Amino acid sequence: MKADYPSARFSLPSAIFTLLDPIPFGMFVGTLIFDIIYAKTGEILWVKGAAWLVSMGLVFAILPQIINLFMVFVGKTRVRTRGQVINFWLNVVAIIAALVNAFVHSRDAYATMPDGLWLSILTVLAMAIGRIILSGERIIYKDVTHVQA
Amino acid sequence: MYKHKQGRSRALVTVAGLALVLTACGEKARVDPSLQIGGNPTLPASQDFLVPPMQVPKGVGWKGNAMPAVAPGLQIEKIASGLKHPRNVLVLPNQDVLVVESNGPGEEAVTTPKQLIAGVVKNQSGKGAKGGNRITLLRKKPGGTGEWEQHVYIENLHSPFGVQLVGDSLYVANTGNIMKYKYTAGETKMSDPGTELADLPNTVNHHWTKAMAVSPDGKKLYIGSGSNSNIGENGLEVEYRRAAVLEVDITNGASRVFASGIRNPTGLQFEPTTGKLFAIANERDEIGADLVPDYLTSVQEKGFYGWPYSYYGQNVDRRVLKQRPDMVAKAIKPDFAMGSHVAVLGLWFYTGQNMAQKYKGGAFVSEHGSWDRTPLSGYQVVFVPFENGMPKGPVQPVVTGFHSQDEKELYGAPVGLAQDADGGLLIADDVGNVIWRVSSKQ
Repeated sequence: MKADYPSARFSLPSAIFTLLDPIPFGMFVGTLIFDIIYAKTGEILWVKGAAWLVSMGLVFAILPQIINLFMVFVGKTRVRTRGQVINFWLNVVAIIAALVNAFVHSRDAYATMPDGLWLSILTVLAMAIGRIILSGERIIYKDVTHVQA
Repeated sequence: MYKHKQGRSRALVTVAGLALVLTACGEKARVDPSLQIGGNPTLPASQDFLVPPMQVPKGVGWKGNAMPAVAPGLQIEKIASGLKHPRNVLVLPNQDVLVVESNGPGEEAVTTPKQLIAGVVKNQSGKGAKGGNRITLLRKKPGGTGEWEQHVYIENLHSPFGVQLVGDSLYVANTGNIMKYKYTAGETKMSDPGTELADLPNTVNHHWTKAMAVSPDGKKLYIGSGSNSNIGENGLEVEYRRAAVLEVDITNGASRVFASGIRNPTGLQFEPTTGKLFAIANERDEIGADLVPDYLTSVQEKGFYGWPYSYYGQNVDRRVLKQRPDMVAKAIKPDFAMGSHVAVLGLWFYTGQNMAQKYKGGAFVSEHGSWDRTPLSGYQVVFVPFENGMPKGPVQPVVTGFHSQDEKELYGAPVGLAQDADGGLLIADDVGNVIWRVSSKQ
């Protein structure tokens, strides 16, 4: 695995990607929390907050994806692992769910429920599972033994 | 590492495509409009949308001498043009006409992403144009032909709508208060700076018009205070003294809620034969092209008409948490449905002699026109025959032709109505910025 990444060259697109890519996930988690509170209390504040979070999450997802596009056409072909493939499709599911959810959250008051809550759960679950699977294949945060090749 | 990302950007394209599909899936109206006029409108099941239906013709105004069409036996003339969003008209005893030029104060905070988008769409029709925040006095020229003289009468108002003369006091209902002025006949500019009679609900101002009627004995003013939301999405705490008809004591300004649960009551007027208070009301949006029909109704003291918990009696609106079965049980069914999304905004009980006998004793209702329905509805002035002081139908179109045949362009939109001493019907048109006068063909 580590042999695929021999160099630690700094790359600006990669840095921007690393900075922005987690933001949608955090916002979708926030959407879910707000939706749960709204579904239980009916206090409008929370569903309006959720509407902003899900919309902004989608907006923040745009730039990392454009960078991906650039990387795909300029970057070298790499080995594709099974985990990365699963993570990719889970991300597709999450983004589609979040997009539909943004429209659901444009409804007035309690018309957002229960659809909005289910879509928030789906979005967060899909992204979370993808990340957990990927974490097994990433070198970051793992104790890497520097075996001499 | 990067290969899967190629797939991801493909997914992005898929998502964008899906968004386009979603925005195109607005529902068309299915119920015959004639079934939604009268005492027992057909009400289909409510729907939840991803994107609610929206169709807004582009406001272009009247070109040259273009005019609305009128029913046989009637004629129409333009008595004023170039006004700043005229919403309401009042005929004074000396036959001067006051025109209230106004629009919403635009103070509603943007608290959802949807408001950003909806504002842009609605403004295309010209209905969102800035109002003059003033009252203009029209006076017939000595020769009696052509457009009338225009004089700026009262300036620097705050989204005024209702205006009434009681004795020598002129009352103007701004969105946030009722002002009282000493009226002097013949003046072309109000000389009295005015005093505040009463405050009115003035937060958010989602629905901003404060329609005003005066009781037949001249002792009370009745104010239509529209809701601060479509269906409670701004929280029910901002609905205090909203979606209600308020009664204001003319001597001291004290007020109370006279009737409630009427989402946006306008066109308040007393039926001349029975002395009953009537209102027209705009009902809730975004649960279907055929829901919920706007209505014309008598207003019962302490009556509750359903908003936000239910419509047309006991049809529960699921969008409100918490649900209130006790309020739903109390909800009064309105008297007469006028059609879905027609946006009734002007009411006048005709008592004149000028027009055909069949118009006497009934009511004219102006329909400002839909923005969330395909095909368009409203955009006309209709006549509602009355029997024994209650609306009976059938409803007949009287003034039409406010939009192009293909529903793309909007020339005008009728709002406030009034009747002059000769029995002519005056119509404020806030997209064409014109005052029209309809009378019998000479």
